[in-house]
Amino acid sequence: MRKRHSTLCVAVSAVLVAAIAGCGSGGDEAPTAGGKTVVTFWQQQFEDYQQAWFKKQVTAFNASQDKITVQVQVVPGDTWAQKIKAAQAAGKAPDVATTNYGNIPAAVANGEVAELDGLMPAESFTDIKENVQSFVTIKGKHYGYPMLVEPSTVLYYRTDLVKAAGLDPDSPPKSWADLTQWATKLNQGKVKGMTIASAAPDLGWSSWGLQYNACGRLPVADDWSKSTATEFCFAQVLDFYKGLYQGGLMPKQPKVGYADGAPYGQGEVAMMAGGSWVVGQLKNDYPAMIAKTAVAPFPSIDGDQTKTTATLGGWTLTIDAKSKAKEQAAAFIQWLLAGDPAIMADFFKASGYSKYTVRTSVDKALVDNPDASADPFMKIISEKVVPYGKAEPAYPWDISLAFGTAIESAMKGSTDVPGALKKADSTINDVIKKQKLAGTAPTR
Amino acid sequence: MTPTVAQKVPVRSQPPGKAKRRRTVVAPHRRDNRTAYLMIAPMVILLGIFVIWPLIYSVYLSTFEISFYQEPVFVGLDFYRYVLESPEFWHSIVIGLYYALLTVPTTIVMALLLASFIKSLSRRAAAFMKTTVYLPAVVSTVVASVLFVFIYQDEGVGNWLLGMLSVGPVNWLNDPHVALPAIAVPGIWLGFGVTTLILLAGLLDIPENYYEQAQLDGAGPFQRMFYITIPLLKNVLLYLFVTGFTLAIQMFDLPLIMTGGGPVEATNTPNLYIFNSFRDLTPYATSFSLTASLLLFVVIGAISVVVFRLIRSDKAVDG
Repeated sequence: MRKRHSTLCVAVSAVLVAAIAGCGSGGDEAPTAGGKTVVTFWQQQFEDYQQAWFKKQVTAFNASQDKITVQVQVVPGDTWAQKIKAAQAAGKAPDVATTNYGNIPAAVANGEVAELDGLMPAESFTDIKENVQSFVTIKGKHYGYPMLVEPSTVLYYRTDLVKAAGLDPDSPPKSWADLTQWATKLNQGKVKGMTIASAAPDLGWSSWGLQYNACGRLPVADDWSKSTATEFCFAQVLDFYKGLYQGGLMPKQPKVGYADGAPYGQGEVAMMAGGSWVVGQLKNDYPAMIAKTAVAPFPSIDGDQTKTTATLGGWTLTIDAKSKAKEQAAAFIQWLLAGDPAIMADFFKASGYSKYTVRTSVDKALVDNPDASADPFMKIISEKVVPYGKAEPAYPWDISLAFGTAIESAMKGSTDVPGALKKADSTINDVIKKQKLAGTAPTR
Repeated sequence: MTPTVAQKVPVRSQPPGKAKRRRTVVAPHRRDNRTAYLMIAPMVILLGIFVIWPLIYSVYLSTFEISFYQEPVFVGLDFYRYVLESPEFWHSIVIGLYYALLTVPTTIVMALLLASFIKSLSRRAAAFMKTTVYLPAVVSTVVASVLFVFIYQDEGVGNWLLGMLSVGPVNWLNDPHVALPAIAVPGIWLGFGVTTLILLAGLLDIPENYYEQAQLDGAGPFQRMFYITIPLLKNVLLYLFVTGFTLAIQMFDLPLIMTGGGPVEATNTPNLYIFNSFRDLTPYATSFSLTASLLLFVVIGAISVVVFRLIRSDKAVDG
């Protein structure tokens, strides 16, 4: 009887293993449909106009030749991580995916993305602007083709309310002290002085620029060997946020996250710290607000506006290292991002010039565009913010979240500033130790 | 004397050898066992495929740093140490327990009172009340979360009511001390209906003559509650406490939608913590969240054992 049971167990296990193995099996050839090689493309969901633009361009690419068919799928941002991981685990990751600059070093270290240098012409890479080259390069090799950059932090303010408060809209605040003073004067009734991130997951990334601004660095040693979060300058960052929150100068229960400019668009705040993408949101969703809005570089800790106040985030297209259609995927990226400059010029037009080019040839294509050259927001952001922007950090998100949590703790009074930084320091050192990060900072 | 059915049916005698052979082939208890095994086989096979095998495989995988692109690195029990040393993991367990403490006893006490009230109503009124009380149970958690987010806004109903009492406004979802109790309110609201109906079923099972006898002996409502109702509902209460605690500790969607685990991790329940750990794209994050899930399974099992111990289960006498 026992023997019969054992035999049964072995048989069932064998069937299960075979079934599971069968699920993951596949050939070495790239899939085809109607004689064309199929390239799967996952696009993270962004603003509505971006989905429409990608769809239009994919259709145009598919019609432009008869060897490749690109299948685009839009994936919401909040399900991206679990969906891509599940696909990777099953060996069914998309051939092409949108990847942000910050994730490229970790993806390269883990062997997830293919090197593009052998797949795309060399001149495509020389067209990339000098300050963006390093964003997609590891040890001199390119692992993603950049699409755009967008500064994470710009100051938006209502010129009508500023005038009404007796302030000069042509002379926006330059230092953090000035900003607090403006917010205090603009804090009238139900309209709050300003809005800025107040939740750890938002603070984790949106405060990178201000961390650079106060300290010239992020709270980790350059070689990622230890935390530097307890340095005095980081306490100044926490004090700045704490002052705005505890002073009642910003909404204490924001309805949306940092990336969403709706509170400003709906007139609930007089000033807003927001990414450059909010320009596009205002133009599309709150056009009446454009005439009474001005933008400026976000104030600096000491008023020096040549110091970094924003990181340059943005998106690239990468090719999966296990893709069976790497050459075809590269051909699509070449056509979309590195080919005719008019294609990307069309994208920046659709964005309301709220995002910034990464290729010299696209800049040239936009020079003759009167809309682009006349856009007041684009001029200020591209001349006064982008040149001083820095790349997003490449270290794991846990470190950014630890610092974001420290800022939130100080803002909401869970602990004092030294206590919050001490906890962040301990968490960051723990991450460094357990993830064996010391000495692994990527070489561009 | 009237003969019984057994006496009426003639018993056919069989050759001894044949009868013996038949008993040897399939004894009655064996036949019963075979039927029982056959009946539970589909469930055992499904459990094996979808629960036991993945669990065993997960334990095996937890000894590796998993990469989907490179050879997994064997790390032994390192990730168990990392999880057990993680203050955030233990903090999330505390948050889960706190949430369970806020919701489970409150739900049960309120449901018991309401069930007792419904029991005393006429049939028609009771039917109406049962439907009304059950309604929140069919509302999706997502809808309830969004609804309560609106209620908790600065100018929402919550602060409007407090304003009438000249109190507030309260930062319901953005104050670390208030956020979890604020999330517990929709949690109680959602679970209240089912708990009430289960307790009502238990109450209706208690013979009415117990109460009549107690009343004759001069027992008041509280004495009847503590000496008759609660002891005879012990098994039902045990079920509600165990399932309530295990479900409450694993609460995921309310904090995900209403607060994202904040402010300052004040609503970061264990499942949400594991989910957020998993979202990081590194191999470390994958292995860490897998191991944390396995340890959470152990922790929840241990808590269930404690609840069983605290409320000793007895079979109701003559229930």
